[in-house]
Amino acid sequence: MTSAVAAQAPASRRRPRGAETAARLLQRPQAALAFAVIVLLVFGAVAAPLVAPYPKNQFDFTHLFAAPSWHHLFGTDELGRDLLTRVLYGGRTSIEIAALATLLAMGGGTLWGFVAAYRGGWLEEILMRIADLTLGLPVILLGLVLVAAFGASTTSIVLILGILLMPATARLARAALVAELEMEYYLAAVSVGAPGWQIALKELLPNTTPVLLARASIVAADAIFVEASLSFVGLGIQPPAASWGTLLQRGYSQLYSSYWYPIFPGLVILIAVLSLNTLGDNLQRVLDPSRR
Amino acid sequence: MATWVLKRVALSVGLLALSSVLIFCLMRVIPGDPTITKVAASGTSGGANARTLRAVRHELGLDRSTTHQYLAWVGGAVHGDFGKSYFSSFPVTTLISQRIGATLELSLLALVIGLLITFAAATLGAIWRNRVFDSLMAGFSAFGMSTPAFVSGIILIVIFGVKLKLLPTQGYVSIEHHPLQSLKMAILPAITLSIAIAAPLLRLLNASLTEVGSAPFVRTAAGKGLLRRQVVLRHQLPNAMLPTLTMIGVVVGSLLGGTVIVEYVFARPGLGTLMVDSIQTRDYAVLQALVLLAAAAFILTSLAVDLLYGVLDPRLRVRTAEAV
Repeated sequence: MTSAVAAQAPASRRRPRGAETAARLLQRPQAALAFAVIVLLVFGAVAAPLVAPYPKNQFDFTHLFAAPSWHHLFGTDELGRDLLTRVLYGGRTSIEIAALATLLAMGGGTLWGFVAAYRGGWLEEILMRIADLTLGLPVILLGLVLVAAFGASTTSIVLILGILLMPATARLARAALVAELEMEYYLAAVSVGAPGWQIALKELLPNTTPVLLARASIVAADAIFVEASLSFVGLGIQPPAASWGTLLQRGYSQLYSSYWYPIFPGLVILIAVLSLNTLGDNLQRVLDPSRR
Repeated sequence: MATWVLKRVALSVGLLALSSVLIFCLMRVIPGDPTITKVAASGTSGGANARTLRAVRHELGLDRSTTHQYLAWVGGAVHGDFGKSYFSSFPVTTLISQRIGATLELSLLALVIGLLITFAAATLGAIWRNRVFDSLMAGFSAFGMSTPAFVSGIILIVIFGVKLKLLPTQGYVSIEHHPLQSLKMAILPAITLSIAIAAPLLRLLNASLTEVGSAPFVRTAAGKGLLRRQVVLRHQLPNAMLPTLTMIGVVVGSLLGGTVIVEYVFARPGLGTLMVDSIQTRDYAVLQALVLLAAAAFILTSLAVDLLYGVLDPRLRVRTAEAV
């Protein structure tokens, strides 16, 4: 009996399920559009030297604060630099920070939640109480204070965002694992005597991955949102480095004379956050039939 | 019931004490010496010798032991005295009371607008059950939750300030002196903040309304011949309220966080801008008072919501009494 159960749950049966989930996700028009936008933004940032219409930091003092035109689709900045080019390069900073912060928040949060669910008892109680405590706190406020404490370097912003977004992930990871621990395949794996780490890595992690991926998409959205907020009040990425948030901050000071300057970076931030949120949300709906 | 209330209040007091310790410790890790900023700002550039620094440090009480500093700070804070600003040498309490008006006006107005949008839209949506209106609401929520306040603020400034020239976009006058002008100046910031408030609330309330909508008691209410409006207002909405109430508590408790960005966009001299300024000048005395205020606001609203919950939902009263 035991061997029959073990033989029935090989990895090969799980893999098509992942592919099926992805297919079902992309069948939803909203999700497909959001995914395409994200791919486009990442491509634009990675391939900035190839696709940007002008070289990085090319000054043009005859066209300061130029309005959007066919020569400069987003207009130009205070040094005559093409804003579309700056937005593409700024995406490198914003996306890099968001990606690293998301990795940190997901890695740490998953470990935190998994340990809590797996060990249970007083350890679970303590870990989850800590998560609850920090959960409702205003992230931007905490972010500002932590930036004041630990400086505004790229590393410290990644660490701050990663840590701030960790508790919510921990709660989700714990809930996901608790549900899996009640499944029969887990019981089967335990009863055939598989070691704990092997069950965790080969059985539990693959089965919770989709839920965690949906969460990762939303964490990435939050990371872009908060980083832009910090940079906007001048406490994020410091010049000469530029993220979408710093571009927006520079543009904000020109709001009344050349309003397109802050509008375009702002819209790019909005589109990035909206796409990531939409993708994560749709993935959650695909995975959880009760929310469809 | 009385013991449950007492326990809950004690928990809040404990949390407040814990956060005061955390905030105090966090302020001590901040690199950079506030006395140097202060001496440099007072004009004696280059003259910041060891003696002046020591004198300033003594004046600010920074040469005492950390425990002593903490006790002095908490002792003062209990009496509403947060010490003097390191930077401007005004009492922190004075600075805060000068700025709190702009923040309160903005927060209250935004909260009223946000709650009006949430409840009006959700109730109408539940009564009409119109697909187009529902997807409009879903769209509003999705956009509202993904739009940083500085983006929506800038868009509103461009439309109403720069293009139409309808409303003032910068600054603040106190509501006692110029009530009408004050409201005019608060309306765009309040709308900006209310979008961020209403978007998640509306999504949550709609979800709970849908969930409650399929409950047997709603079918019974409709079956006994009540109008759709009556079913929604008397049966569906009250039962769908509880999760939204918690969320409203969280929103109110973290309003100070939301106002930081909005005040910055609209150049309102409120607590949010005071906080950004105090970070930039390393004015810990002001910063730690503001953060403690934010923590207190958060802890007190969650206490209020929990107590209200106990009153509204008797089941919870029994269960938490056992749990706490």
